[in-house]
Amino acid sequence: MTLWRHEARLLLRQRLAMIALALLAVLTVAALGAGMAEVSRQHAAIAAIPAAQAEDIGAIAAWVDREKDAGSAAYYSFHPTWNAPSPLAFAALGMRDVSPYILRVRALGLEAQIYDGDTFNPELALPGRFDFAFVLVFLAPLFVIALCHDLVSGEREAGRWRTLAALPYGGAALWRRRSLLRLGLLSAAIGLPFALAAAMSGVSPGAILIVLLLVLAYLLFWVGLCALVGRLRWSSVANAATLAGLWLVLVLVLPTLGHVAINRAIPVNQGAEIALAQREAVNRAWDIPRAETMRRFYAGHPQWADSPPLETAFHYKWYFAFHQVGDESVAKQVRAYRHGLETRDEAARTLGWVLPSVGVQALLTRMARTDLTAQLAYRDAIRHFHRRLREFYYGYLFRDRPFGKADFERAPRFDAAP
Amino acid sequence: MVETAPPILIENLAVTYGDHRVLDGLSLSAPEGSVTALLGGNGAGKSTTLSTLLGFVKAHAGAVSVCGVDPGVAPDAARRQIAYLPENVALYEHLTAVENAQYLLALSGGKQDRAAIVEAFAAAGLQERAWGQRLGAFSKGMRQKVAIAVALLREVPVLLLDEPTSGLDPRATADFNALVLSVRERGTAVLMVTHDLLSAADIADRICFLESGRIVEDVVAHGPDRFDVRALHARFAVATQRLAA
Repeated sequence: MTLWRHEARLLLRQRLAMIALALLAVLTVAALGAGMAEVSRQHAAIAAIPAAQAEDIGAIAAWVDREKDAGSAAYYSFHPTWNAPSPLAFAALGMRDVSPYILRVRALGLEAQIYDGDTFNPELALPGRFDFAFVLVFLAPLFVIALCHDLVSGEREAGRWRTLAALPYGGAALWRRRSLLRLGLLSAAIGLPFALAAAMSGVSPGAILIVLLLVLAYLLFWVGLCALVGRLRWSSVANAATLAGLWLVLVLVLPTLGHVAINRAIPVNQGAEIALAQREAVNRAWDIPRAETMRRFYAGHPQWADSPPLETAFHYKWYFAFHQVGDESVAKQVRAYRHGLETRDEAARTLGWVLPSVGVQALLTRMARTDLTAQLAYRDAIRHFHRRLREFYYGYLFRDRPFGKADFERAPRFDAAP
Repeated sequence: MVETAPPILIENLAVTYGDHRVLDGLSLSAPEGSVTALLGGNGAGKSTTLSTLLGFVKAHAGAVSVCGVDPGVAPDAARRQIAYLPENVALYEHLTAVENAQYLLALSGGKQDRAAIVEAFAAAGLQERAWGQRLGAFSKGMRQKVAIAVALLREVPVLLLDEPTSGLDPRATADFNALVLSVRERGTAVLMVTHDLLSAADIADRICFLESGRIVEDVVAHGPDRFDVRALHARFAVATQRLAA
């Protein structure tokens, strides 16, 4: 029998070790199940969009077709956009639980629509969802500590250390072997259920391999930390207490302090403030001469400047024009907000090079396309779609073309391609 | 004619822990097929001598060799020549006697043949019903039998014993002494550090009194009575009183 098999037998005969490994596997499976259920719920919600949209547009179209009014069509019709989860999203839900993944937009001012739901729920954002990333980053180190804190000190306390150390293969190689065995079993408890879930979800083999390597590297860091603390020759209780303290500092305290420091160093206004500013600009338009609004609008969009002049009666082209002017009035804040978010994200990624817990989470959410970058990309896609939507309706509004039922079919559709 | 190194050779060994010199010019040689007892009070340097032979402690001065290998330079090579029984043989309680032996043999780089193991258990006097039992309920004597069976199987030239009979009842002590003698018959050099003068007088070929890190008296067995136990006892009492003072 090889030394590895002896060590495995030795470990697996320990009830506590078996319970710890089984519990970790169960938690991983539960987290994967929860993640897959959430992703499946989001897929179902996205899949239900076309039918709901057809029903919605059908009701509006019947009514619009009587008036042939493009303004009413543009005002009352919502157009869905969605951010479909990537195959790996189940493993790291990231921002998908705090940011919308479906947004129905109208051709009206966009900023208020985009940032209307941009509120921050600290309860959801702080601990995050119970997903694979949570189990790996927050819980797995505790299992590493449970299995590795007393590798040497436990033998010393049991009176076996001298017996083992006096044997030719009982020196440093023994502790390395035991550490690697624990690393392997812990990685298997996390990695095997993940690989199975990832394969079922259609994740590419390359991505699965990268995540497995990430799991291995993160657990190796904690095993190494246990070995370092073990070299101090303290008691098992002192080792466990020290490692638990390190877990608290490295996984909870420092990342939180890091984020607080980043948020203080890089002040970013809430998106809702942009929505409010845009609304105020829009509301102000009711109090100023319509000609002034149209002048500002045509200055930025000369392609519509040859539109017939406004008469005294209400015209939707004025209404949509002041919405767009409202959007443009907050363009600077929007750019600053986005730049602030990106700078914060960049700083958080830099923090990830120092704090493995932050780094692993950042890498997982990046791979799962559930991070801020993915969220901003979704917003970009919405903006692009909204631009097309405006162009489409403006073609009717500013040319006074009638808008019938069939015209809804010609409306642009959101392209969900990543 | 090529002269081979004795299994255990210590020359003018000095070991210090900080400012405290634990061994101070210790010299000792143990030939093949011999039992050497190292007696001394607490703090005399007995366990440090074993630790130096095992390569756990580096010599500050002097020379140590196990079958010609310096354990300070090549500890693993030295340990291949040594079987070591600590004062309290602590093994894995959730493994059976056979599994413990297999594990220790694996860590020694030796064969783990079950038949050979149970044969060694029998030779060590471990009852057959205990072979497949987990060690949780084993007495110290039974654990020692497991450990000495492993030592027998390893067939190493050096056996180091650290207080082997402390805590053993008289029958177990007698059994153990018989085992040590059987090991000696195989040509093994046995070095035992002990407080148990009677056991030492029973089986040792030579008794060395260690005091303040050096051997102050070296008595070799001779004649049918081997040792003058009364004189040894008096000598030992003086040494321990001096250390206590």
